[in-house]
Amino acid sequence: MIQSVDRAIRILLALQDEGVLGVSDLASRLGLAKGTVHGLLQTLAAHSLVEQDPTSGKYMLGPALLVMGNVYLNSHDLRVRSLRWVASLGESTGLAVRLGVLVWPDVVIIHHVGPAEVAVPVSEVGLSMPAHATALGKALLAFHPERRRLVSEHSLSRLTGKTVTDPKALEKQLDEIVTSGVAFEDQEAVVGEASVAGAIFDRSGQVAGAVALVVPADESGIDPSFVAAVRDTARGISRELGAAVWPGGE
Amino acid sequence: MSGTAVDVALDVEFFHDWMGRLAQSIEANCDELTRLDAAIGDADHGINMLRGMKAAMEALSSTPPKDPADVFRVAGNRLVAVVGGAAGPLYGSAFRAVADALAASQKVSVPRLAQALRAGVNAIQRLGAAEPGDKTMVDAWIPAVTALEAAGTDSVRGAAAAAAKAAQEGMVATIPMRARKGRASYLGWRSEGHQDPGATSTHLLFAALVDATH
Repeated sequence: MIQSVDRAIRILLALQDEGVLGVSDLASRLGLAKGTVHGLLQTLAAHSLVEQDPTSGKYMLGPALLVMGNVYLNSHDLRVRSLRWVASLGESTGLAVRLGVLVWPDVVIIHHVGPAEVAVPVSEVGLSMPAHATALGKALLAFHPERRRLVSEHSLSRLTGKTVTDPKALEKQLDEIVTSGVAFEDQEAVVGEASVAGAIFDRSGQVAGAVALVVPADESGIDPSFVAAVRDTARGISRELGAAVWPGGE
Repeated sequence: MSGTAVDVALDVEFFHDWMGRLAQSIEANCDELTRLDAAIGDADHGINMLRGMKAAMEALSSTPPKDPADVFRVAGNRLVAVVGGAAGPLYGSAFRAVADALAASQKVSVPRLAQALRAGVNAIQRLGAAEPGDKTMVDAWIPAVTALEAAGTDSVRGAAAAAAKAAQEGMVATIPMRARKGRASYLGWRSEGHQDPGATSTHLLFAALVDATH
């Protein structure tokens, strides 16, 4: 690992986590001399990856990162090919749809359409959600080649009274998802919200992402027609990406 | 406030009036609740609570409640049935737990009310797993219930005022917090500097209790 590059990235991650930090804050967080941090910040600022608040003198993330993020979104093959499918799933169900990729222990949302009933939905693109508590994350994790190591290395945090925090219980759900291709979550991340997700595979047969329908939680559970719609969407996107097979067959 | 000869009876009329005042207050503060929720949630708390409280008041007027528990049971059932998002399940479960704890009492004492509201916040914590400091409605509920418990057998007015004051302080204390539960937790540090909408509607519940004593 190149030490200076690693340090620069740690600065960016610290600013992502905290918003605004001064040179001293960053130096103590990273265990580095203030002079070293200052030099790194100057370099990052020269490329607009960070910027300095003129009043406080503290640092925050810079606009070049938005440009990079947009390039990421618009060149992401899975995302670009999924746009039409996501829009259609949202229109036919009237529900919110999320597209996500695994950045363990989180899922990062790379595309989102809000529910039809909300006039001005809040975009979730770029948000991280704990993978073990979301249907998206479970679908992605189930087909991950190193899933046992991932699950064992990370403690499963409790987000609601229903979050699955026992690794054995999670593994059992993941086994079921491998068979069906479809993952469920009932108020495990946020009270009142359930979701169903389908894994998306690429040409190599690897899981490339997942698509989820966000359903208001109620006692009757998720409508089977929604589950079928998610399965069709995930299978359709997978086929478009060149995947030969999808779990559960046709 | 306390020490006067005449105090309020916590009977079914009182509870019905309390719920009605809460509904009015939610209506008056609907835009404010939605504005707060737009900053750190999905911008539907005001409209959801308004829909739920209207449904609750309609149900209570079509079938008049027979005891204090009935008021909370009917309101809780309607909230669960018609309110989307987190607010319906959380307030609905809390109100049902309050109803269960009140059982069939016709006249409720302050300690009994405190005990019932404690059962309510316990239900919220079972569902949401939120602890104090997580920037949720729990941050207003717990201080309010604790104040009510501390009031002992004081006058209803004094006890209600203490509970509402504690709820308000708890609500304001959520502003600098970083959310650790609920949708707002996805925002990390960006949730700081915003008052929690659930803690705000919880303050309205306890402020309505004060209004009902006058």
